[in-house]
Amino acid sequence: MDDDEAIARSLEGDLTAYEVLVARYSALAHRTAVLFGARDEAEDVVQEAFVKAFRHLRTFRRDAGFRPWLLRIVANETHNLTRARGRRSELTVRLSATAEAKAPDDPEGAAVATDRRARLLEAVRALPERERRAVVCRYFLQLSEAETAQVLGWPVGTVKSRTHRGLARLREEAGHELG
Amino acid sequence: MSSDERFDDIEAELRALAGSLDVPAPPPEQVAAAVRTRLEAPRPVKRRRRWRIVAVAVVALVAVTAATPQGRQVVTAILRYAGIELRLGGDTPAPVPTPAPLPGEREVPLDEVAGQVAFPVRTLAALGEPERVTVADGGRVVSMFWPDGIRLDQFDGRMDPFFFKRLGPPFPDEVEVDGVTGFWLPGSHPLGYISREGGGEVPLRQAGPTLIWQSGDVGHRLEGAPSMARAAELAGSLR
Repeated sequence: MDDDEAIARSLEGDLTAYEVLVARYSALAHRTAVLFGARDEAEDVVQEAFVKAFRHLRTFRRDAGFRPWLLRIVANETHNLTRARGRRSELTVRLSATAEAKAPDDPEGAAVATDRRARLLEAVRALPERERRAVVCRYFLQLSEAETAQVLGWPVGTVKSRTHRGLARLREEAGHELG
Repeated sequence: MSSDERFDDIEAELRALAGSLDVPAPPPEQVAAAVRTRLEAPRPVKRRRRWRIVAVAVVALVAVTAATPQGRQVVTAILRYAGIELRLGGDTPAPVPTPAPLPGEREVPLDEVAGQVAFPVRTLAALGEPERVTVADGGRVVSMFWPDGIRLDQFDGRMDPFFFKRLGPPFPDEVEVDGVTGFWLPGSHPLGYISREGGGEVPLRQAGPTLIWQSGDVGHRLEGAPSMARAAELAGSLR
């Protein structure tokens, strides 16, 4: 069942069809919530977002993609949560422990690569919030510029310029650190 | 080298980094099932109509058009519930600018609370021991505070109202809490206190979204939960 059909059937109240959509986008929705700062409440945020998405499915424009539409709801829910908690939106994600294990025959090279990744993640964390959100959408969620614009509610030109500024800053950081 | 070429490697590095981020997620089928369960549950929003009927019935009893000292806010309905007086107005009321503490509020150790108030005091098991506990107005109100702005007030719900809340739209949603009906007040709203001495009204502060309910003779208000579902879940852990 593709998205279109699942949405059409969900609109008729078919919850089994909607379950297919939820399962399909669950991992990406969690990733979005975590990367936007939901921390250990990501599961709550994601469930709430899927419930809201179902109830507002009629407002979804069928010619646009379901993915950015859903992720916008996830981003908004996360924003509401961090605001209600009195927190700033922060990138709290860590490198996974398995990253090093990917090159077992070259432990030293793997350690250097892991260290560089950790520094790059630190640099992304330190970006001004808007640039960071753009970079997170484009590279960590691997969304297109148009999708990023929809998720963040910005014009495409703004996505481009903020991504560009964020990358310039990261490039500069990486240059300083590794010569 | 053009700047775009220089960006290429940082872009590639970012994409590689994306694969090494530790982003745990529950099994998708589990999320799908949980969402389905929530969608099949009765919708609190649908019950809003019933709330209006309740409000109208109450208006018949206490039809009031009151002008407050502060702002001549027109009150169109009053509901007294769980020791709280909800004053429903046509517009969103002006926020309380300066927060004030409850009268006679002082901090007490958790294990000494029971001796200082006239009703059984409980705590939210889901959140563990509160960071701070206060007793106010000669033992009428117990307040517990947890991190992230979560606050639980407990007070004798049989007596005259202790708190008043001014509400514009959106009006409260009914929600089931621990087997009883409570109300979820979704918006930020002015909160005040009606003191024992002479019934004077003390504006307290601008309260965040709050769940109110009565359990036995004790009134409860839980403030600071991010969603109605989370508030109801926390309230369910009252022990």
